[in-house]
Amino acid sequence: MTSKQKRKVKNNLVGYSFVLPNLIGYSIFILLPVIFSFVLSVMEWDGSRNPMVFVGLDNFKHLLEDSTFRISFVNTIKYAVFTVPITVVAALLLAVLLNTKIKGISFFRTAFFFPYIASLVAVGAVWNMLFQPDYGPINNFLRFIGIANPPRWVVSTKWAMAAVIIVSIWKYMGYYMVVYLAALQGISPTLYEAASIDGANGWKKLRYITIPLLTPTTFFVMIMLTIQCFKVFDLIYVMTGGGPGRSTNVLVNFIYDSAFVKFKFGYASAAAVVLFAIVLVVTLIQFRGEKKFVKYM
Amino acid sequence: MKKIVVFLLSVMMVATLVTGCGKNDASKDETGNEQSEGADAKSDEGKSDEGKKTLTVTTWDNDTTPQFQATIDAFETAHPDVNVEVIDTSADEYNNKLTVMLAAESKDPDVIFVKDMGSLLSMASKKQLLGLDDYIAKDNVDLSVYSGAAEQLQVDGKSYSLPYRSDWYVLYYNKDLFDKAGVPYPSNDMTWAEYEELARKMTSGEGSEKVYGTHNHTWQALVTNWAIQDGKNTVVAKDYSFLKPYYEQAVRMQKDGIIQDYATLKTANIHYSSVFKNQQCAMMPMGTWFIPTMMQSQATGETNFNWGFATIPHPEGVKAGATVGALTPIAIGANTDVPDLAWEFVKFATSEENAKTLAKNGVLTGIQTEESLDIIASADNFPTECKDALKYTNYVFDRPLDENIDEIRTVLDEEHDLIMIGECTIDEGIKEIQERVAEIKGY
Repeated sequence: MTSKQKRKVKNNLVGYSFVLPNLIGYSIFILLPVIFSFVLSVMEWDGSRNPMVFVGLDNFKHLLEDSTFRISFVNTIKYAVFTVPITVVAALLLAVLLNTKIKGISFFRTAFFFPYIASLVAVGAVWNMLFQPDYGPINNFLRFIGIANPPRWVVSTKWAMAAVIIVSIWKYMGYYMVVYLAALQGISPTLYEAASIDGANGWKKLRYITIPLLTPTTFFVMIMLTIQCFKVFDLIYVMTGGGPGRSTNVLVNFIYDSAFVKFKFGYASAAAVVLFAIVLVVTLIQFRGEKKFVKYM
Repeated sequence: MKKIVVFLLSVMMVATLVTGCGKNDASKDETGNEQSEGADAKSDEGKSDEGKKTLTVTTWDNDTTPQFQATIDAFETAHPDVNVEVIDTSADEYNNKLTVMLAAESKDPDVIFVKDMGSLLSMASKKQLLGLDDYIAKDNVDLSVYSGAAEQLQVDGKSYSLPYRSDWYVLYYNKDLFDKAGVPYPSNDMTWAEYEELARKMTSGEGSEKVYGTHNHTWQALVTNWAIQDGKNTVVAKDYSFLKPYYEQAVRMQKDGIIQDYATLKTANIHYSSVFKNQQCAMMPMGTWFIPTMMQSQATGETNFNWGFATIPHPEGVKAGATVGALTPIAIGANTDVPDLAWEFVKFATSEENAKTLAKNGVLTGIQTEESLDIIASADNFPTECKDALKYTNYVFDRPLDENIDEIRTVLDEEHDLIMIGECTIDEGIKEIQERVAEIKGY
């Protein structure tokens, strides 16, 4: 071994020893459980000392026949399809509006960021009151502006998902607004100046400078949001508990229910594997799309 | 070169992980039985500085009812060397929390109050409960005092629990509201139709002043229970058409404003006790566990009105006094570090002696004697003249001992939701229940 090689080995060892503590934690608390749940997905197990039984792909076959799984699957897609684009647009518009130099701007930024740090349980309970169909403020307002039969929100199978989506957007747009604000700071003012000289108005600047230059951020935001949407659970658990009936049951809800109410850990893991596969496919598609739509400066 | 180093390091990491886990597993297995007592004697000493033994007990909603605390206090008085530690959870979350605690296979909890038969069955099948047969034989415990309830709790012929409490449904009423309206109190012999008629009569007022004739909490049990009261059906069935008349009644009463709107109760998360305590309803069908709650509330001055209860109304053609109820078993965790002490607690809690203590607090136990009824009836804040309403002629369990009962209850809950908020018709709901239960049971 030459001295150069020796030094390289030494450097590597030092590097690995720095990574090791974190890697151990990651392996024990994330990697191993993930692998374990893949193993579980072909087993039948009630979560106790009773032995696991290998059942092959039976769990997946049952999933296809399970009406609750089908409903949860469709609901999850529905939730993601509406939440992701609306949140992206809302966050972008907010960021653009709050990127101006007016008095009290930090107050408005804080105000829009606030829902993100508010406790989810409290948020769910308060929105449930706002959405109350008979005397809730939202429906009172809707009746005031002339809508005779406002939606019954969380106690209606048709509108419960809409209510959850509205709260999600309200809660998460502040966070992504901050992400966009950071990106907006990175756009050189000279571009806007040049555009002004060429006679571009505000809309044209937004359309031809801001939005194209923000595409890397939009790409990031969309990936994060999509993953977040597919694993949504807490907000729905607090607001509707999956109801009324099964109208807001989502996949994570289904997984939780199968594992911790019905004690079918193998079955729940199979559903988790399906969820993993969906998120993987969607993310891969988005990465494909990246080449077409993201413009780097 | 680099590759070899990477390989060696990964082998090392994997080795650390494996041995790390291996050690844990080994020690876990060893402490399974024999070693546990030695190891635990040490930890017991460590637990409390005064050298007291600690016993961990799980309860739900412990601060609103004396049903657990009365026993715990009595036990601590009888065993001054023992300190009972309570792990309290809200009733809704109790089974979930218990599941997680038991899955961790930790030493605690030692003693478990079991909330329903479904969870008893699932814990027993997962070997999370200690078998009690040896202890019962050793101490010659006479199971006949429970008049068959202990046998009903057996799983595959083995005892994992003893009956602690026994509860069944009665009809509570607010005497002041009946007096004000000049209407006679509900009797111990009413059909459900007569009950509805009475509720209609007792409904009065508007807006925030409105008093509802009766109150149906959001549980599906408060509709389905009356459908199984005759003992001919259970909530695990192939044909659910027997539910129809009871849903028709519930929906009709809601539509006519005799009971509070289901959607409001659900979205605002309103607890039934606050509705009764705030005198917003004249009557309320509820379990006997509400008796000690009301007694405590009257004693502390939280409420101050005259109340009483009658036997639950019955379907047409069924003898008066037929009721629906459930047992609250008490069990020992399989991984307890103090099995003998835990058994001592269980034996104490289910004894005739303790039944009297509980009776003083208005709690009905697995042991029903004329004497315990007398004690309850003479307790402070108990509506004495309602003693007869505690007698029943027939008792059916609210849910059968069925391995899929929790899944089926989810179905019933969800469809109940849809029917009561008017998102589907009763026929559609019942059809859906039938199909989904058939899917679960493989009919």
